[in-house]
Amino acid sequence: MEIAGLLANLGLGFSVAVSLQNLLWCLAGAVIGTAIGVLPGVGPVATMALLLPVTYVLPAEGALIMLAGIYYGAQYGGSTTAILVNLPGESSSVVTTLDGYQMARQGRAGPALAIAALGSFFAGCVATVAIALAAPPLTRLAQQFTPPDYFSLMTLGLVFAIVLARGSVLKAFGMVFLGMLLGLIGTDVNTGNLRYTFGISDLFDGIGFVPLAMGVFGIAEIIANLTNPERADLVSSKVSGLLPTREDMQRSIAPILRGTVLGGLLGILPGGGAILASFSAYTLEKKFSRTPEKFGTGMIEGVAAPESANNAAAQTSFIPMLTLGIPSNAVMAMMIGGMMIHGIVPGPQVMEQRPGLFWGMIVSMWFGNLMLIVLNLPLIGIWVRLLLVPYRLLAIAILFFCCIGVYSLNNSANEVLMIAVFGLFGYLLMKLDFEPAPLLLGFLLGPMMEVYMRRTMLLSRGDPWVFIQRPLSLCFLVLAALLLAFIVLPNVRKAREAAFQE
Amino acid sequence: MRMSVSQDFAAGLLLLAFGVAGLWIGADYPMGTAQRPGTGVLPMILSWCLVGTGVLLWIKTAIAGSARLTPWAWRPAILITLATVAFALLVDRLGLLVAMLVSMTFAALGTPETRWREYIPFALLMLALGVGLFIYALGMPITALPAGYPWK
Repeated sequence: MEIAGLLANLGLGFSVAVSLQNLLWCLAGAVIGTAIGVLPGVGPVATMALLLPVTYVLPAEGALIMLAGIYYGAQYGGSTTAILVNLPGESSSVVTTLDGYQMARQGRAGPALAIAALGSFFAGCVATVAIALAAPPLTRLAQQFTPPDYFSLMTLGLVFAIVLARGSVLKAFGMVFLGMLLGLIGTDVNTGNLRYTFGISDLFDGIGFVPLAMGVFGIAEIIANLTNPERADLVSSKVSGLLPTREDMQRSIAPILRGTVLGGLLGILPGGGAILASFSAYTLEKKFSRTPEKFGTGMIEGVAAPESANNAAAQTSFIPMLTLGIPSNAVMAMMIGGMMIHGIVPGPQVMEQRPGLFWGMIVSMWFGNLMLIVLNLPLIGIWVRLLLVPYRLLAIAILFFCCIGVYSLNNSANEVLMIAVFGLFGYLLMKLDFEPAPLLLGFLLGPMMEVYMRRTMLLSRGDPWVFIQRPLSLCFLVLAALLLAFIVLPNVRKAREAAFQE
Repeated sequence: MRMSVSQDFAAGLLLLAFGVAGLWIGADYPMGTAQRPGTGVLPMILSWCLVGTGVLLWIKTAIAGSARLTPWAWRPAILITLATVAFALLVDRLGLLVAMLVSMTFAALGTPETRWREYIPFALLMLALGVGLFIYALGMPITALPAGYPWK
């Protein structure tokens, strides 16, 4: 029964995904994703923000298929730069530089790239099936959620975001609170009162997510990258001998499997995603290895595991977004933005009301992965050439696309002014060693939590104990409390710091 | 004299400043009742949380110390901001071409690495791309050249 239903769903998704138009959007997403993945300093969040206005003219299916492709495409592209140039094309491929670049210096760039792509492909396929399997039961569970359950779930999500953030826990707390406070700016939907608008009419509707994200991630990154331009020194622009040896394959199988499972699990966690997955997979692989001291000298396991993990996580992080309507990271927040542009309210009802969209997007991920392996292996030479564009020119282009992208959202020049402000603010945060991701999650979840808090209080006639009387809500809160207690333990903190240090 | 401020002290100050400002401005937001929490409830809670986090960060810095602030990159920070602001102020008044040109030139000035021989053809290419893609292909309602009078 379950299997038959799943097959029927996948069949429906297949019929949507295989239409020529949607295949083209999928390809577009994969190509853009690979390009920005290859380019250091251009991330998927900023790119998706740039393209959100463009997706307005597309049908909803095409828009979301393309946006999704950008995220997992970037995971493929990021490894290319990491291996060939010793620069992470994406922050999720930081650890790939450790062994990947060493392999390239030993003339084994080809096998490293091939294993990275094959591992990603395998992980992508597994993650697609995982989403298809996990989505229906989770959606059914989510349909029973009451307002206090949602509130507590979001609390748990924010706690995860804090625990999983890099650097100081206190600072991550600060970012979440500040993000939530920024999210409250504008008209209070419940009472119509204005909050923190300073009489500026552009703030009455609140701060837009896109200007905030683009300022903090896009503009601030440009400022930081122009400060210390990283020299790209290509090992060689010619990659020969892509095929890994039999020994490479044998050594990679287990790391790919472990990376896929670990990445898939970490991707589901709120605040998790590709970056965390790749770091953890590398650490795990070192633990499993009989020769951990050799990591960093060109071990193929050190490429296979994190590259599989980041792709698996990139895809499974769609699960909470698709089933609960809760973004687990900044990229998923962009996906939610994309849905809202098309008038789709994210949440458990999407699967029932728009099954074609839901399953079409999932199946398109498999097609996307297939396209990506073709794009990345035989065509690798083209992508490498992208790296010859110097950052000083790239920065100008990115800045222009940020400006015009934000402008086109509402044809409002004032929103462009906002990205200037948030850009400086983002640079300030970087200098003070704050992570911007928890800020963005707080910004998104803050207003949602307020809505659920009010609904809860209204339903319970002002009794706050209801949050611990509902079993589900209690579960989430206890979990959140345990996580927080856990992170304060001294040895856990040391382990966490060590894990992020790698 | 060299000024060197501890990074975490400054970070705590930032959180405290936002918290205090949040409390100050939000002081007269209505609090409502337990059953119908008002506009001011969450802002007040969050502002106090920010104040608390800032103070804890200060205490931690006092006990454990922290890294020094690294020098600011004034040049890119100022010029990239100017580039963004210039685009915002000019695009409606003087059209896309002028806005792009001014904005891109500010951005190019943001790094000492800019080579003008390389920048000029690149800028021309970007101008063509900007007008071709956003005005002709996507049909955005902006003009390429100054339309009418800027003071109208």
